[in-house]
Amino acid sequence: MDALLEPLLVPFMQRAMIAGAVVGGLCAMIGVFVVQRGLSFIGDGLAHAAFGGIALGLLLGVSLERMTWVALPFTVLIALGIGYVLRRGSLRGDVATGVFSAVSFALGVLLLGLRSTDGPQVNVETVLFGSILAISPDDLITVGVVGVVTAVLLAFTWTKLAYATFDPELAALSGVKVAALDYMLLALTAVVIVVAVKTVGIALVSSFVVIPAATAKMVGRSIGRVALLAIAIGTIGSSIGLILSYHANVASGATIILTLGAVFGLALLLRRR
Amino acid sequence: MSAVHAEAEGMPQGHFTLPDPSLSRVLEVENLIVDVPGRRLLDGISFWVPKGEFVCLCGPNGAGKSTFLKTVLGLMPPTSGSIRIMGKPAQKALREVGYVPQRKTSDMTFPARSIDLIVASMRGSWPLRIREEERARAAEILRHVGGEKLLEKEIARLSGGETQRVFLARALVNKPSLVILDEPTAGVDVKGRAEFLDLLAEISASDELAAILVTHNLAAVARCAERVVYLDAGRVSAWGLPSELLGQASLSAISAVAGGDHAAHSHHHHLPDEE
Repeated sequence: MDALLEPLLVPFMQRAMIAGAVVGGLCAMIGVFVVQRGLSFIGDGLAHAAFGGIALGLLLGVSLERMTWVALPFTVLIALGIGYVLRRGSLRGDVATGVFSAVSFALGVLLLGLRSTDGPQVNVETVLFGSILAISPDDLITVGVVGVVTAVLLAFTWTKLAYATFDPELAALSGVKVAALDYMLLALTAVVIVVAVKTVGIALVSSFVVIPAATAKMVGRSIGRVALLAIAIGTIGSSIGLILSYHANVASGATIILTLGAVFGLALLLRRR
Repeated sequence: MSAVHAEAEGMPQGHFTLPDPSLSRVLEVENLIVDVPGRRLLDGISFWVPKGEFVCLCGPNGAGKSTFLKTVLGLMPPTSGSIRIMGKPAQKALREVGYVPQRKTSDMTFPARSIDLIVASMRGSWPLRIREEERARAAEILRHVGGEKLLEKEIARLSGGETQRVFLARALVNKPSLVILDEPTAGVDVKGRAEFLDLLAEISASDELAAILVTHNLAAVARCAERVVYLDAGRVSAWGLPSELLGQASLSAISAVAGGDHAAHSHHHHLPDEE
């Protein structure tokens, strides 16, 4: 048992465990609404949009460590743009997300090419697949602040957000400010995605949003229970995945997602019985 | 009710029986116009619903029925004209309105039970925990619509007829003065539809609760309507008793008001029954 928990004694693993658990819980919390609204693709889309923000930061000479502060406003703007198109009702969510994310990603590629060759080297693999083991104490503070702000906002708006997710028209008739909540949810999703990109990377972050929520949805009978279950799956799955990756000496981000995938498969099998 | 000629502004002239003007009005719509860029969706709608009256709102697809409902419910802004509910501007009186939407608008995969929906309507927010008095009220209103066994049932497992019972319960739970039903029996099986019509007939018999039922279902009109408002091309083509509108002569009148080719082929016209 001691050998199994040995990674908890290593400082970089401690930071990774905390960051993974917080990000896993946050993504799951957001994911409950995102999945229920049929916007699962948005996690992937906003992660690609974040790449545009990261490239913009690099062009402006910002270091990779501080890139979050450029990627954040950029990705939030993209999210709000998607929200605006959705509310206009002219396009479906997947179309709006697809267009905005593809354009942002292409912009990112273009901006990376425009960088001065004298600038710092960027490891694209780190951006794509994350580097949870390289989480610094500063990163941990960012994760903590984002975690607290997101959790508080969601806690205060939870009951209205759930009502608007079930039926926006009925919620609006009951006095719920549906438009404001929609924009808030998209902005929060963007913020959480940008922070999560650091841990599991652009390529895998949407799984962090979708898998715990989709798993919990198969089991839970009320939206409250689904949320609690999703948060537990995101948090515990992330921790277990990280410990497994340490012992197997394999990529941590991918192991976390594979762990979550295994839980999803198990839930699927149990449900069929 | 008094038999009068239709003389309200914007109304076709004909022998339609309008409600007694001395009755108190639950809903009053005056010269309502709704425009969207490049198109006029509602073109001067005027009618009123007195206390306790059950009105069927009919008309072909694209006539403006959904736009009208959305505007009354405050989900779409009017370009001009006025909507008053219980004498107050509609936006300030939405608690007086209970709404039963079309089945397709709600997310029926949402993890919830019937009681959650009803309590959400009572609170204006989704319940995480339900208090005893809320449970008792939800059970009472479900019993009232014949759905006492549905209280704890997951909404994903409700049949079409059961779903509409639960939605009717959530619309009635705040004791509204007006209930608006948007094609509530569309997509419901024959048995469920017949049972739901029984419920609507009960509402129709009530002297307290006024209702507007948007429907294509002639059986619903014949069974429940105390008055019919027929919309066509964003206008009120006819407003009168069901017998006046369902009769051949009045259908000719409706068609004549609708204009064009309709008048020439009036003997072929029926209120569409798409369900």
